[in-house]
Amino acid sequence: MSITTTGNLGPMILQSLAPAMLYVPTPTMNYITVCDKISMPANGGTTCRFMRPRALTPPTIQLGNAGIDPPAQVPQRDIIDAQMAFFGTGCIINEQVILQDQEGVLAWVSERLAVSMRQAEDLILRDYIISAASTINAGGGSNGDNPTNLGVSDFSLVATTLDTNNAYKFMSGIEGMDRFGTGPVRSAYFMLSSTELQTDFDGLTGSGFLSQWNYPTNASALPSEYGSVFNIRILTSSEAPVARAASANGADVYYNTVLGKQAITHINQDGYSMNLIYRDPYYSGMLAQNATLAVKFAQSQAITQDTAIRNVLSTRISNLNP
Amino acid sequence: MAEYSRIAKGHFTSTGNAQVVNLPFQPDYIELINYTAAAAMTDDVVPFAKWDISMGQGFAVIERSTGSALVSDVIIANGFSTFAAGQLLQYGPIYQHTGSTDFSITAASPAVVTTTSAHGLATGNVIVFSNLYQTATTGMQQMAGIPLTVTVTNSTTFSVNWNASGSNYTAFNTASSTGNVGSYKQVLYPYLYAPEVAVITAINTSTNVITTAAAHNFQIGQEVGFHIPNQWGTTQLNELPNILIPGSPQYFYVIAQTQNTFTVSQSLSGFTAFNPNQTFASFPGLKFPVVVPVGDVNTGGVQISAGSPLYPSPLLFNGSGTTQVPTINGPAIIGSFVNNTSQGFIVGSGAAVGDVDAHLVGAAADVIYWRAYFSDMAVN
Repeated sequence: MSITTTGNLGPMILQSLAPAMLYVPTPTMNYITVCDKISMPANGGTTCRFMRPRALTPPTIQLGNAGIDPPAQVPQRDIIDAQMAFFGTGCIINEQVILQDQEGVLAWVSERLAVSMRQAEDLILRDYIISAASTINAGGGSNGDNPTNLGVSDFSLVATTLDTNNAYKFMSGIEGMDRFGTGPVRSAYFMLSSTELQTDFDGLTGSGFLSQWNYPTNASALPSEYGSVFNIRILTSSEAPVARAASANGADVYYNTVLGKQAITHINQDGYSMNLIYRDPYYSGMLAQNATLAVKFAQSQAITQDTAIRNVLSTRISNLNP
Repeated sequence: MAEYSRIAKGHFTSTGNAQVVNLPFQPDYIELINYTAAAAMTDDVVPFAKWDISMGQGFAVIERSTGSALVSDVIIANGFSTFAAGQLLQYGPIYQHTGSTDFSITAASPAVVTTTSAHGLATGNVIVFSNLYQTATTGMQQMAGIPLTVTVTNSTTFSVNWNASGSNYTAFNTASSTGNVGSYKQVLYPYLYAPEVAVITAINTSTNVITTAAAHNFQIGQEVGFHIPNQWGTTQLNELPNILIPGSPQYFYVIAQTQNTFTVSQSLSGFTAFNPNQTFASFPGLKFPVVVPVGDVNTGGVQISAGSPLYPSPLLFNGSGTTQVPTINGPAIIGSFVNNTSQGFIVGSGAAVGDVDAHLVGAAADVIYWRAYFSDMAVN
């Protein structure tokens, strides 16, 4: 028998790179989506200042016939300041890597740096909101914890709170259509939640939760939108904040940020955002061996309408691992 | 030295507690000289110490004094460690009943915690409790889940900033609680953004002083808003509703502050008393009274002081100690929203294996010089 096999005549080159790179699991970045965005000017100092006039007292007392003017009011304003901060990261890549690697390392590292920067923007906003926004513990659930799991009354309460505070909703409603399984969607605030809570939302089906798939039309739904409860449309992400084992009963605590328009403002300085910096090996050492790829950006953020944002803290109906 | 390595040096005066050193990098090698200890050479001091990242976090190789000679020794807990304070909601190890460890909490104001082994906390740290069920219907669940500032009394005793003296609180002990439940853990980086939302623990309507469970980092001139649920009493402070100008929020201004208190300029006379004595049975879904920063009325930055830069960074309580420390980000308007993230290393207060009285960070007033490195070429 003289059969030629890969045992006595193996391939000279054992591997072949599959076309296209595999995807990199990346959370949806919801916080930047719901922010107002402004740019602070160059040469504008370190701090961005916002001004909001206060309402004047409505003149509900009649003038009468005395011919005397009422006392004048003194207009007031509120001032909100936010300090600019700078962030960045990068990679040092030896020229031999660039020279010898087959897969275009500079291209995919550039892409990774860009995504890293965008994710940093979102995480900074997320943690800032945890730090500075007011909180409401969920109490409408049944799990006996503090906070409880989310009940429909929690959605109702927070929407009522924001409505009473005269916050502006993000979305107008979706009118009902004659389509099986669909229902109208109210005008709504956004709630930014964790994907880990989706099982709890599903559990509220029939009690107020309407899956995004059951909207009359998906035209206005965002990619990360999971559904709605009453006047709140829910965006989920795996990077939403979770305080592990931090509830009164030791369960995970989820920060569900409910907000209206202008609640959070993201600030850059003179377009100093998304700077991708490539430095040729020429700039490193006498033998010019290493290239660098880096990103940097300037970012600040402020709660610009504190009455239009609440973090609804909740646990899950049961602490299952997804 | 390779092209991209980092090296930094500096000095600090020890407080006797762990010392945080902010750097633009996390070092992989640290050297330390305690000049005061080296000069005195009394017993139980650590004049020299070194650390390499390969030893592990919290370790150190030291030379300690026996009073007449230097001997080599090691520290295996609370030595040198690096940190990356870039994201919130990170926690330290859980302290609970293990068979060899327990803790108790007094039903007092402030509540006092006693542990059966060294708690390792420093004043200014922040912790959260869970499962404070003495029985199924008694205990201290009303204060569970809230970030609380710690004031250390000694290595096994500390108090937390909560009034648990009310009749609805029952003293707690993991050694005797049903099922030996109950735990606490440290919040590692509680103040990465400032000023912060804070849970209110007391309101003095005579002095206009409000006390918070953890630091608030409000500044004089800060504008704040209150959200106080009905069962806590002092709802007249609430932003909204506003009877006279519907929709217009009511804000207050801070005129004095400490780590866990602040005074508002407006009089609170005649307001309903604050009620911290919530029932045990009410804890599921209990909504806490909070205060939030909403703005400020300031026009300038931090004033200079002896030894400070000409344009100092904002000063904040950072979760360790009782004094404010500067952020790393330069000048800002006082009371503005600022980023307080940082990285660097910590000189811990751990003791030598061979001498429990010889501590890495030295004694209060010791002058300590350090040098930190980050090598871009490590040959293992």
